[in-house]
Amino acid sequence: MTFHTVDLLTRDGARLSFPCAEDQSVVEAAAAADLFLPVVCREGGCGACRATAESGDYQLGPHSEAALSAADAARRAILLCRTYPRGPLALSAPFDRARILTQALRPRHAVVSERTLIGARTVRLRLTLEDEGEGSAAEFEAGQYMELEIPDGAGLRRAYSLANTANWDGTLEFLIRLHPQGHFSEYLERRAAVGDRLRVHGPLGGFTLRENGLRPRWFVAGGTGLAPMLSMLRRMAEYQDPQPARLYFGVNRAEELFALEELGALTDSLPGGFALIPCVWQAEADWSGVVGTPADALRADLAAMSGEAPDLYVCGPPALIAAVEQAARDRGVPDDHLFSERFLPGAR
Amino acid sequence: MFCYQCEQTTRLPTGDGCASAKGLCGKDATTADLQDLLVHAVKGIAQQARRARALGVPDNDAGAFMLHALFTTLTNVNFNPTRFVTLLHEAAAVRDRVAARCEAALVADSDTAQTAPAPTGPAVDWTPAADLTGLLAQAATVPVNADLARVGADVVGLRALILYGMKGVAAYANHAAVLGYTRDAVFAGVEETMAYLASDPTDMAELLDRALSVGRLNLQVMEMLDAANTGRFGTPHPTAVRVTPVAGKAILVSGHDLGDLEALLKQTAGTDINVYTHGEMLPAHGYPALKAYPHLVGNFGGAWQDQQTDFATFPGPILMTSNCIIEPGPRYRQRIFTTGPVGWPGVRHLADHAFAPLIAAAHALPGFKADDLKTAGPEQTVTVGFGGDAVLGVAGAVVEAVKAGDIRHFFLIGGCDGAAAGRNYYSDFATGAPDDTVVLTLGCAKYRFNRHEFGSIGGIPRLLDIGQCNDSYSAIRIASALAEAFGCGVNDLPLSLVVSWFEQKAAAVLLTLLALGIRNIRLGPTLPAFLTPTLLAVLVERFGIQPITTAPDDIAAALTCAA
Repeated sequence: MTFHTVDLLTRDGARLSFPCAEDQSVVEAAAAADLFLPVVCREGGCGACRATAESGDYQLGPHSEAALSAADAARRAILLCRTYPRGPLALSAPFDRARILTQALRPRHAVVSERTLIGARTVRLRLTLEDEGEGSAAEFEAGQYMELEIPDGAGLRRAYSLANTANWDGTLEFLIRLHPQGHFSEYLERRAAVGDRLRVHGPLGGFTLRENGLRPRWFVAGGTGLAPMLSMLRRMAEYQDPQPARLYFGVNRAEELFALEELGALTDSLPGGFALIPCVWQAEADWSGVVGTPADALRADLAAMSGEAPDLYVCGPPALIAAVEQAARDRGVPDDHLFSERFLPGAR
Repeated sequence: MFCYQCEQTTRLPTGDGCASAKGLCGKDATTADLQDLLVHAVKGIAQQARRARALGVPDNDAGAFMLHALFTTLTNVNFNPTRFVTLLHEAAAVRDRVAARCEAALVADSDTAQTAPAPTGPAVDWTPAADLTGLLAQAATVPVNADLARVGADVVGLRALILYGMKGVAAYANHAAVLGYTRDAVFAGVEETMAYLASDPTDMAELLDRALSVGRLNLQVMEMLDAANTGRFGTPHPTAVRVTPVAGKAILVSGHDLGDLEALLKQTAGTDINVYTHGEMLPAHGYPALKAYPHLVGNFGGAWQDQQTDFATFPGPILMTSNCIIEPGPRYRQRIFTTGPVGWPGVRHLADHAFAPLIAAAHALPGFKADDLKTAGPEQTVTVGFGGDAVLGVAGAVVEAVKAGDIRHFFLIGGCDGAAAGRNYYSDFATGAPDDTVVLTLGCAKYRFNRHEFGSIGGIPRLLDIGQCNDSYSAIRIASALAEAFGCGVNDLPLSLVVSWFEQKAAAVLLTLLALGIRNIRLGPTLPAFLTPTLLAVLVERFGIQPITTAPDDIAAALTCAA
């Protein structure tokens, strides 16, 4: 088997090298070198492991168009879990070195402590980690996710972003959209009960806050893409981060809005100020807020903006992310101000 | 980014210095550049503050800000660019406040204007840009090597020597200030020197004299810090420190700030949490007021460069109190907290001794269990607390041992540890020193050999741990007292200094030793990148500074010279 060297440059400038066989994905080869990259589905379906091939030849394996479009692939965007080298490969990754683990995480167990319907087909799920000799702390970075195993689901996992912040009583909070025919949705809707015991894997993921001085932080969330944004905003409040923040929160219909009370509470606790901009795509006549997608609202505000272009954090379906990226490009927001995490039904 | 302030800086045939997206210390270019700009801003404060002092309206709060600001720019202290943007705006406000103070003084007494003319220059006129992009553009005009093409590498190197020495001075003075110890003369010295740097000096002889004046200023600061530490916590006594864990919840405290440690010990008193020291915090165990807390149970891990391993395996939260942080690994990133001048992006900062989140974390995390103790092996200890008074208390016995020929020579092996391969020189040196010699040590380089069994000479331990790098004044007192006892100068003592430098505190201490006229210091593991061949030749000629070679050769040479 022919091996090639993969050089991976992380967002914060760290360089990692490891050998990769031609029939190994970059993710697999990294794991063989005890480097566990932040990935979700490992099947080319979610887009969580998007990176850029700076130089070298490679072959892309089968993947979802939503996770990596043909146009992006033509620009040498790749999915690390679907990239197979054909020569020495130099890659740049959109996550920091600290997001790469050097040993696999052990799964833990958690118990359902709350399951509440908080909007049309959105559930707030709270779990409490069991001690298991490792203490009760829930240690993760705002914006990261966990993989939850469905009880009696033959090991089937689904990835969900955490909505709360790291804490010392072991609480994990998720905001989960109920999808028709979704395995985890079916569990949540019909069987989940307080006291259920689940296996959890994580924390995982590299979609986290960046320190860029006092540059404003604008968050764009579609539906339950709110979860990592809520986590980040709560962490900003805990740390008393000085950056001004605003959140574009988009849903299809007004009754699908949720977590407004928690978001409203942030207004007084963020020292740099906070603006909440709910956006409803299919609004009724009595809706007095923004009508349209959060990308539409963002585009309008970027046009009216003066001063430093904000950092944009985006989480939602691929179409929303593409629309935000386009709005940002059209308004001259530099690419390195954009941080995104897309979710697809298969991955969530 | 261009930075060559520490020992690990990039060394290339094309030129030394970190000049890429990320320095070898882990600092990214944005943060490094903002730190350059903060140094520029501090120069502006210093210019105004020097004038204010001349006008009789000194502003020591501005001085305290300068100490803190410069401390944040040391290697391995603060890596958070947001913090530096905030500091830059604060710096401009401090400078303008001092300028207004000067103007108010002039209104009250217009005759004094001639004695203290208004300062001029870019650091006085600088206004922070509104956004990060603008600040970085400003930073690009003030790197440490900004004038290289015009004035040459020797002048730039001497300016850097002064600046880096001043960073060390600021760090030590800040340590004393947070314990409530300040002096007008120190603030005045900081103002004078930073204002001097603002004048873009080019006279080599004058620059060298200024460098030595930084050393003299640092001597004052080290004496003040010694007074602060002993005044607050008592005189260190020889103390055996457990280096194997005990069962129970645990917090690890690293860095140098004894006041932070004391505050945490108070806040955890009466709980089931044990507190451990790490790295340069080890000498804390020798202070009566700190070791009085029974839950200060021991020391964990090694020197600062081992922290990614030490912290990942420590089963509780970690508090990093001053310099020496390196990138927190994923396994402990959520349970490390910073305080004081320290910062890392995404790591929670606890100001003003508000340690409640740290203590909550300790309760939640597992702590050491009985099984952990089995793998740690039998109980072990190291002995610390041989500060100035402890050694001077047995000075008579030491002198007699020398006169009787039982002690042939003293080696002071002091300074920082580091990850570079060549640093095994220091352990080879200490363990290779003949049995009729005594090794004094301070700083974290000791971790390379402090578990070695050195034995004793006539009841005097062969390894005497004087303390942190912050305790350099103790070493100077010991050397001076021995010289007095023998009726000779320090350079005539059977004493060799072997200095392991890493960052700017060590630069300040080195300048102090040179200012005291101490010669023949062996310096390593590599020489500072900012010392050009010309500057090194001057230091060799005037002070006999010697780059280290091999431990056996240097030991033999030291003993031959002394014979």
